[in-house]
Order: sequence, then structure tokens, then C-alpha cells
Amino acid sequence: MSKNSKSKNLSRRQFITKAGTGAVGSYVLFPTIVKSNKSLNHSGEEITNLKGDTDLSLNVNGKNIKTKVNANTTLVELLRDHLNLTGTKVACNNGECGSCSVLLDGKVVYSCHMLALDAQGKSVTTVEGLMEGNNLSIVQETFIEKDGLQCGFCTPGQVIAATALLNKNPNPTMDEVKEGMAGNLCRCGAYPKIIDSVLAAAEKLKS
Amino acid sequence: MRNFKYLQPENLKESVGALSEKSIPYSGGTDILGLLKNNIISPTELVNLKNIDDLDKIEQISNGIKIGALTKLADIAENDLVRNKFTALAQAAEQVGTPQLRNVGTLGGNIAQRPRCWYYRGDFDCLKKGGDICYAEIGQNKYHAIIGGGPCHIVHPSDTAVALLALNAKLTTLSPKGEKKIPLKDFFILPEIDQTVENILSPDEIITHIEIPFPSSNSKSGYIKSMERGAWDFAVASVAAVIDHNNGKINSGKITFGGVAPIPWHEEELDNSLKGVSLSSESLIQLSKYALKKADPLEHNEYKINLTRGLLVELLSNLVG
Amino acid sequence: MNRKIIKSKSYLYDEKIESIAEVPEKELESLPLNKDLKFIGKAIPRVDGEEKVSGTAVFTFDKTFTNIAHAKTLRSPYPFAKIMSIDISKAKKVNGVLKIITNENSPEIEWYGDYSKLFDQTVRYEGDEVAFIVAETEDIAEKALSLIEVNYKELDFVTNTLESIKDSSPKIYNKSNIPDPGGHANYSRGNYEEGIKYSDVVIEREYSTQVAIHNPLEPHCTITKWEDDELIIWDSTQAVFSVRDAIASRLKIPASKVRVIKEYMGGGFGAKLEAGKYSVMAALAAREIKRPVKVVLDRREMNLAVGNRPDSQQKITAGAKKDGTLMALGLTSHGGMGAYPAGTYVHWPLRSLYKCDNIESNEYRTFINAGRARPFRAPGHVQGTFALESILDDLAEKIEMDPLEFRKKNFTSIDQDSKLPYTSKKLMEAYDAGAKAINWNNRKPAGTIEGVIKRGLGLASQIWWGGGSPPAYATVKMNRDGSVQVLCGSQDLGTGTYTIIAQVTAEVLEIPIESINVLIGDTQATPYAPSSGGSTTAPSITPAVYDGSLQIKKKLIAGASAIMELPTDELSYSQGKISEKKNKDNFLTNSQIIRKIRERVLVATGARNQNTDKYAINTFGVQFADVEVNTLTGKVTVNKIVAAHDIGRTLNRQTLENQFHGGVMMGLGYALMEERIIDEYTGKVLTTNIHDYKMATMKDTPDIDVIIVSETDPLVSAVGVKGIGEPAMIPTPGAIANAIYNAIGVRINSLPITPDKIITALNNRG
Repeated sequence: MSKNSKSKNLSRRQFITKAGTGAVGSYVLFPTIVKSNKSLNHSGEEITNLKGDTDLSLNVNGKNIKTKVNANTTLVELLRDHLNLTGTKVACNNGECGSCSVLLDGKVVYSCHMLALDAQGKSVTTVEGLMEGNNLSIVQETFIEKDGLQCGFCTPGQVIAATALLNKNPNPTMDEVKEGMAGNLCRCGAYPKIIDSVLAAAEKLKS
Repeated sequence: MRNFKYLQPENLKESVGALSEKSIPYSGGTDILGLLKNNIISPTELVNLKNIDDLDKIEQISNGIKIGALTKLADIAENDLVRNKFTALAQAAEQVGTPQLRNVGTLGGNIAQRPRCWYYRGDFDCLKKGGDICYAEIGQNKYHAIIGGGPCHIVHPSDTAVALLALNAKLTTLSPKGEKKIPLKDFFILPEIDQTVENILSPDEIITHIEIPFPSSNSKSGYIKSMERGAWDFAVASVAAVIDHNNGKINSGKITFGGVAPIPWHEEELDNSLKGVSLSSESLIQLSKYALKKADPLEHNEYKINLTRGLLVELLSNLVG
Repeated sequence: MNRKIIKSKSYLYDEKIESIAEVPEKELESLPLNKDLKFIGKAIPRVDGEEKVSGTAVFTFDKTFTNIAHAKTLRSPYPFAKIMSIDISKAKKVNGVLKIITNENSPEIEWYGDYSKLFDQTVRYEGDEVAFIVAETEDIAEKALSLIEVNYKELDFVTNTLESIKDSSPKIYNKSNIPDPGGHANYSRGNYEEGIKYSDVVIEREYSTQVAIHNPLEPHCTITKWEDDELIIWDSTQAVFSVRDAIASRLKIPASKVRVIKEYMGGGFGAKLEAGKYSVMAALAAREIKRPVKVVLDRREMNLAVGNRPDSQQKITAGAKKDGTLMALGLTSHGGMGAYPAGTYVHWPLRSLYKCDNIESNEYRTFINAGRARPFRAPGHVQGTFALESILDDLAEKIEMDPLEFRKKNFTSIDQDSKLPYTSKKLMEAYDAGAKAINWNNRKPAGTIEGVIKRGLGLASQIWWGGGSPPAYATVKMNRDGSVQVLCGSQDLGTGTYTIIAQVTAEVLEIPIESINVLIGDTQATPYAPSSGGSTTAPSITPAVYDGSLQIKKKLIAGASAIMELPTDELSYSQGKISEKKNKDNFLTNSQIIRKIRERVLVATGARNQNTDKYAINTFGVQFADVEVNTLTGKVTVNKIVAAHDIGRTLNRQTLENQFHGGVMMGLGYALMEERIIDEYTGKVLTTNIHDYKMATMKDTPDIDVIIVSETDPLVSAVGVKGIGEPAMIPTPGAIANAIYNAIGVRINSLPITPDKIITALNNRG
């Protein structure tokens, strides 16, 4: 089984020495999770006097927003740090877990793995935007009823993904729920009850 | 993530004009943002292609289908024409990442994405990044190449490219020098030619379209992928196949492999041995033994040979069953 | 409120604890069975559900202040090195940098006992702390980090457990990597050699389990804020009081001046049971810059530096008689605890799960140049149970006995150590209920299934403590309007602590859940409750809540008695009213009574009872797995898990099922995909994100059937509840591994069981 044909010319000691040198040169810093916390008003009026190198207009939860951002600002940074919409979470900051899920023109996307400028001219819906006034949406309500959550950190993303799924497919099978929600990790492992929640929400939405 | 300029050209010509050594074409961004966050690349400009019209369309042409390079993977997976006539591509697209990634990621980006090797993506000054060593050669190489590797041992991570190769796709690219048509088989390059890149695109060149000819009317195609969990995993190994069969025997076909080599992998001898193979599981198992015969695995990835052969048998059984 | 001070025994993880605690003088009357209750046992929606689904729940990760500063940590890129010098001059000049701390300007603060310091001059794993930068924004802090120039002298390192014990391997502390004392644990009973000698069949097997990372989705994070000489810390923690005490002692300030608050937290699984270095660093910096400081670890740091389930390399010898009597079990195991001391022992299941008179176990834990282990959901038991239950299946096969029969044959109704009976052990009932639900009778002998896709069944049993213990307190306050606050020093990790506290209070006082407000996770506002670990939260705190609520009821009755001038035994309490038994129309509401008493708030603090010393307190269960294995591609699909357990009383059917699902999912991930992988040539971790470190997704979710065979366990407490968080996960990997064996007839003795191992094993068999 064990086979090492390609490394015969490289002794282990040499390898370590070289590897060590390599590591110095390329030491990569840990990536950012959250940037500044300057909280800015998002009353729906134009926002001005923002620092940033590029203009950005978009609609967030029904409000038109005009602002400036640095090009490297991610969408979730805009939402959380600039617009104070902290319902959307960040857990991996690399498009791997779904805690940052939002709707972009109705489709579910990872807001941590997208530039704010990618939302130029588009509509963003966050978990806060699912509320109808002070009322929970049917999907949100059903997550409470069916206990589709534990610690709650991934929950805003799950609720968003479920909403997108049901918008597209109002009558999903269990397998379609699993497929449609596969981009949202829940480390607490509440999956069975999240599935129940989505299926029950589909039933409710039909009536 | 370091800052950069975000250029927003309005048309193809401007886009290509804006590209240089210091810039990078940017659309879905699912791969590029990872590279930027991990400081693997540090362009000073991102050239946003999303404002270009008509590069996200799927259209039927006389002899096949033409897909804009900016078409989202989700749209490809759900397109009826693709599902019916180019099933392997639809199946490959729907197994990429997660719904969120497929809603954003594009076909062009999926073909041109960079490898997922954990040394390349991690804190290692590896060969591909201009260093002296391929750490995978004697390190943790369970997911690395079993064929075509050396001096760098990455596997190409694309699902769709494997399907497109089986379907004889052709790329259209554009650079300031003009338009080019490149058969997909000539697009990828092995590390022994140049280990720092995976394809022949120059820095000022982008993929604009992918054209696929209709497969023969009595053929079927499919794509199968091995992952270590139910979703969000790159192919440990994958197989695409286009098979023409009748009366219980294969007439002809084309088989390609992913997750095994630094490029989507194709073995002509294997295709040649397809003719006349009967569709019983014994003969399919026998056939699969002709695949990857020249594999030269590393310390931890010999299993990929049997895995890939197993996938081939499963895929062919599904296709002809 | 009559109390006494006693000594009470319990287990927290594998540590036997004798606590001196204040407990109620008299035993409280046990709660009736759930069928006679209104709130307890019902599927009551979580009281914090609305905040969580609406995004309004503020996690530590979300909290901020207008003048907050942000910090990042520079971590060692090397597994083992000496810091020769650190030059921060360039970093300091970055606009917006507020403070930099390194070993050159930090106060000397011990960490990991006396093994290291807050900032050490030697770094012993990739990710060890080197410098801490506070800046206006996280981006600035990060940019400045890259400008710190550290001159490291690299040292020879070792990251592999079995390598680390060789004489020739690099030594992390200039002496054996197995510390003495502390690196070796021996346990024996009976006569192991004799047991083997009189066995009809003896087998020996080696098992290997991987390093797993907790990876809660909310990263470790903290905010420290000074208000004059008082330090307030918002921490994503499972243990507000132990974080408070650890930080107070490190900073040499009175614990009374430190307030630790945890409101919502996004998962811990054991990784958040201790104070982080980052909290102390942030507190030091915040004091100097006179601004609050926030630290959020990123996913890479989460995978390097805040704990793991250590590996285990186990060799087990097992002997049995042909009639199925388990004669002897011997274990030698090694575990790599990381660069600093941590627990790794795995022998408890082998020692306690079955009747076996002859046991010999030797365990070693060793230093390696990798991130330090921390408790992780049933530490040791998950690894130990996988190995034990695998070898028992092999043994059962050798003596041609059904694996379930073999386990029943070796069932014990008394604790094998203390020889005490259990407060409750309904494992036999669990076996029967679980076997029925999985159709165990359909199980075929291993390796006899035809076809490419083979289906198999397997089982594994579980023992854990989870009885809880004193000290734990809860203060119940009833206001003039009859509404109630409950204050408790516990934490809700997503387990539903808020909800079960409200349910117990509502049950006793017969008032609506909505009129109860629960405050937990604040050292300044609440009485003491233990850390949320070891499946002890519900069994420790709900009896205290029960006691406090009963006391309030007693006070109300005494008040009514004085007002109505009737003896208390002529009064009855029902639904927030006290009425004369003979004349129901003569009544006072709770609110009327409190108004008359003139106290604006009735207050009572309840306490957890003493643990019995006449019985052993444990939880038991069995899980059955139904799996399919594709023998061509090595793909494993778990179709179904049946989890049948004895856990005392069910407090909330919905949150209970949810926790069982979570335990099973985590067990499934551990069995099939999770693994931290280190490059042995550089000592660097390769799985630093969460697609390389693979956790189960919704697509991996099987059908999970939760069966609770117990109604209550009144010998534990008047509430009769035991913990479930850990029992839920312990047997899952063993059950899945046994089902895989049953399907394919080839054993895979190392976790995770990934497709490559299955293909290789099948290939080697030919």
C-alpha cells in the first residue's frame, strides 16, 4: 500500500528545512470576521458622508440605501457593521456554513462570500426583513412551533434558506428540503426538527 | 481582505481591455473571494463582468447548445434543455457546493477555478505559489492526484469541466487579440508544462461562451461524484460518461474523470474498449479495470483507483439500467 | 428556608467530585409523574424562540458599544519555536492601533497551571499566542499584525501521539512527553490474568480515533469593559462563574469586581468551559486604553487554538466464556493532549458499562505540538465506547451469539466499582424497545448480504453520569402583580435551559409561562449555578428552581393564613389563588397577598438537594443503526438511528428530542467524516476551515427515532431528571461502526470511517 516513489530524492530533513523557510515567507494572517462597528442609521433615507471608495445603491429590507463602501467590504459587513442588521451571522466567513444567508433578489446567497458591491442595484432581504411589521413570518413561527433550532446562531440563515426554498418550491418533499437546505450547517444538529419546520411551514403556507 | 479597485465595465470589449497582470476577472466570486481572503492572490483590480449583457444566456444553436460563461450553475442545473440533452452537465452543476454557491457561481468560473489543495490554499509556500516544494508529494495527499501529477499534485476541482469534456464542449474566449475557439480538451494544462496555472487562459483573456454539440440521439449522459459528506464537498473522485447503446451492448461512448488528475482526465484507450461491451454488471466491472491503468498513486491515495472504477460501474449501470 | 451544609459526591466528566454544599434540610416531595402535570414533559415551545428566529437575540458576537475597540491575536505559524525577539515598531505606527501586548510588556500571568504564561517565550503549537493588537477596527488590527516582526528559532517538534512517546522524539518540556505524575492512569479490579486464562475465547484489537474539533458556529468571543474598577465581561461561555473567578485571579482583583454576562451563545460543546487568554488580554488592554475591547476568533483560530477531542490509540484484549460471560477486559491507550495538560482518558465505558469482574487498564496521555484538548461532549466516552462496543461485537461473533443477547447476558444492575445499586437502570427496557423499532430480528450475520449495496444493523450501549449535584441555586422572585422572575447562574447553550426553568416554576406556582421571566448567565445578578457541562445542567438546577418555587408557594400560603386568619392546613393553593378548602369563594390571589404583606417582591432562593450515597447515579441507553454501504464506492448512508435511553424524567419532549438529534448528528459526523489533519512534516494543521474539516449537513441526516424508557428517577432529586446532552452522542459512532461491519463483513477500526478506508479494507480482503 504505502508508496513513496516521487519523494525518493528528498530526505525528510531537507524537506523540513525547506518547509520551514517556506512557512515564514507565506505566513498568512487569519482572515477578518467583523470589521468596524460604526453603527449608522438606516432609516431609509439616503445615507451620505460614508467613508469608502465606491458608490453603492441597493435596497435592504424594502429601504433604498445609497452609500459608499470600500471595494473589499463584504455584503455581510455592510449589513452588520454599517446598517446594524446583526440578525445575519458570520461563522466561517468563507461561504462554508450558511449562517450569513440572505436573499438577493429573492435567491439565497452567502453574504459573507460576496462583496457589498455585488449587490449593486439589487434587493437584499435579511432575517429582519422577513418580519411583517412586528409579526413573525409563517416560516419563523413554524421554526418556533416545531423547535427547528437550538443555540439559534445558524437560525436566521436557516430561516432565510427555508424561505427561499418555499418561495421556489411550495410543495417540497423531505429530500428536496434536505437538498435545498444543504448549504446551512447546524452544529447543534437540529436538522430533523428544521426539516419538520420547513415541511410544516409549507403546509401552512398552502392554507 | 486587502482592498482593490472594483472596475465595472459595461461591455465585453471594455472588460477585456481592463484586464492585465494586476487584475482579475470577477463574476460570481465564490472562488476568487476565498483566494483573496487567504492572500493567495493579491490583484490590485477586480474587473466585474456582471454588467455585461447576454453572457448569462442558455440558447439552442443549430448543432447544439451555447451557454454564456456567466450563466449561474443553478440555472444550468434547472434548464430543461440541459437536463434532457446534456444530462451530465446538469448533474455536475447540481452537485457543485450548495444552493447558495450555485445561485452565485458561474459556469465560466467553475471551469477556471483554482485548485482546492490544502497546501495551496493554506499557509505553505508551495510550488504552485512559486515555492520550491510540492508539500503534498510526501505529506497529506489523500485527496491528491493519482495520475498526471508532478511536480505539483493537485487535482482539478471542477465538476462541470469533467462533464463538459465528456460532452466534447468547446470554449470561446476573448482577449484584446481577439476571439478564440478552444476545444475543452486543449484548454487545461498539466503541471509538467506549467505548475503555476491550470489552463491556457492569459491574464487578459476571459471565457465568454461554452458550446456543446448535441450528442447522438440514442445516447445518454450522466455524472457521478464521490463526496465525504452529503453536500459541500469537492469530488474525491468523479466520472462523467456519454454512452450510446442498444440491444444490451454499448456502441460507443466517452468517459472522463474528475478528482484524479491535475486536469479533467480522459483516456482514449478506455473509450475504444467500450464498443461491444455488454451491459451486465460483470462486464461493466471488467470494463472498469481498464480505467486509470497508468495511475501512479501517492502514499495515501491508492484507494482512488478502485473508487473511480466503482463510480464508473455505478454510473454506467445507472445510464443503461 | 432551612438548610444544612453537607458533602455530596458526583462526577464531572471522569473526575469524582466531593462538593461541600448548602442543601435543603429536608428532602422535598417528588413531583408526580408527567401524565399528572401541566407544563413539565410537554412539548412547550422554547421561551427564547422568538428572539432566535427573528434575529433579535443579541449574541456576544453581535454586541457592541459606540467607542469599542477591536483586537486580534498574532499566533505562532510554527508548531514549536522559541521567540528570540519581537519588533512591534512598524505595527505601532499604523494609524488606528491603540495597544500592542507581547511577552515583552505583559504582566507575568501563569497559564495552563505553571506550564506556560499569558505570553510565553516558547510557542508549543501552531496557533500559540504571540502578540495581541487592539485597534480602532479589526481590519487595522489585522494589518498591524502582519507588520509585527518575530524572529523565531524553530525547534524539532512532534505532532503524532505514538511518535511522541518514543525516546528519540523531541521533548516539549525537556523531559518525557508523558508527564509524571499526571500522565498515566491505571485501573484494575479482580484478576485480569485469571479472567483471560479462564476465557474460552480471547481476542485482541487495536483502535484509533481521530482528533475532532468542536467548531460551534458562534466563534469564541468576548467583550471587556471597565467601569471604574469594575470589570464587565460579555463572554460566549458555558461557565460564567468559572470564567469570572479565573479572570479575577489572573488580574489579581476581587471576584466581586468582575461581572461575567452571557446572554445568548452560539454553541460550545465543551470548548467554552474555561476562560480564554483573549479575555484576559482584552481586559488588560481595555484598562489601559479606557475603552471596551472586543475579540472575536476567526474560524482558523477556532480550528487551531480552542480545544479538541484528543485522539486515542487503544489496544483492547477481551475474553469470554462460550456461554457469553464476559471474563476479562484489558486496555492500553495513548492520547495526545496537545502542548499543554488536558484530559484524554477513555477507559470508563470499559470499566462500567457491563458486568465484568476482571479489568486492567493503563492509559497514557502525552504532550504533542498541537492545540490543547478540551472537554468535548462526553470526553473519553465517545472514543472508549466505539472501541469497546466494536470488540464486543467481534467477541459475540466468535462465540456465535447475537450481539444484543451478548450485551443482555452481561447486564449489571449494580455499579461495578462501588457495588451500589443504580438509582434507576432501564437499559433492558431500552434494548427491547430499540430492537423492536429497528427490526433487529431482520439482522443477518455479518458479510452475508448480497449485492453492491449492502445493508447492515448495529448497536452500541451507553453509560454516563449526568445526575448533577449541589451546589446549585435559583432565586425565585414574585412581584406584586403575581409575575415571577427566576434568577439562576446557569447558561443556555441552545439546550433549552431558559425554557425548563420556566416550566418548573409554572408547574409549581400554576401560573402561565408568559408571566415568568428567566435571567441566567450573569454572575452579578444571580446565585451560583455550575458550569454547563457534563450533562449536569438540568439535573443540578431544576431541583433548585423547584425548591425556590415551593418556598414562594409556602410564603404565599403563610401570608394568606395570616390575612385570612385561618390555619395553613385549611387553605389550598390553585392557579395563583389561595382559597379556604371548605369555602372556595373565600380566596386571595397571589397579587392580593403580596400587596397585603407589603413586600413588593417575595424572594426565595432554592437549593439543589444532596446526592444519595446509597446508590450510583447514571444514565443509560442504547442506539441502533441501520446503514447502507456501497461496496464499489465506499459510500455509507445512515438510514436510521434508534436512540432508546433511560434519562429520568422528560422535562420538555421537544427540546429533549432536539438534543438527542443533535447528539446523534455529532456522533454520525465523528463516525464518518470529522477529522483534524496535521501535516507531519511541518506540524501545521491542514483542516483550518469548515469544508476541509467536514461536519454533517442536512443531507447526511438519517431518520432518528428517540425512545425514552424512563418516567422519572426520584432517587436523584424531587424533579427526577438526568442530563441528556452527552448520552445522546456516546453510542452513535459505535452503533454505526458495528452496522458497517454487519453490512460488509470487514472491520474498520479507525475513525472516521471514510470511503477510502472502506475501499481499502474491502480490497485487502480481496
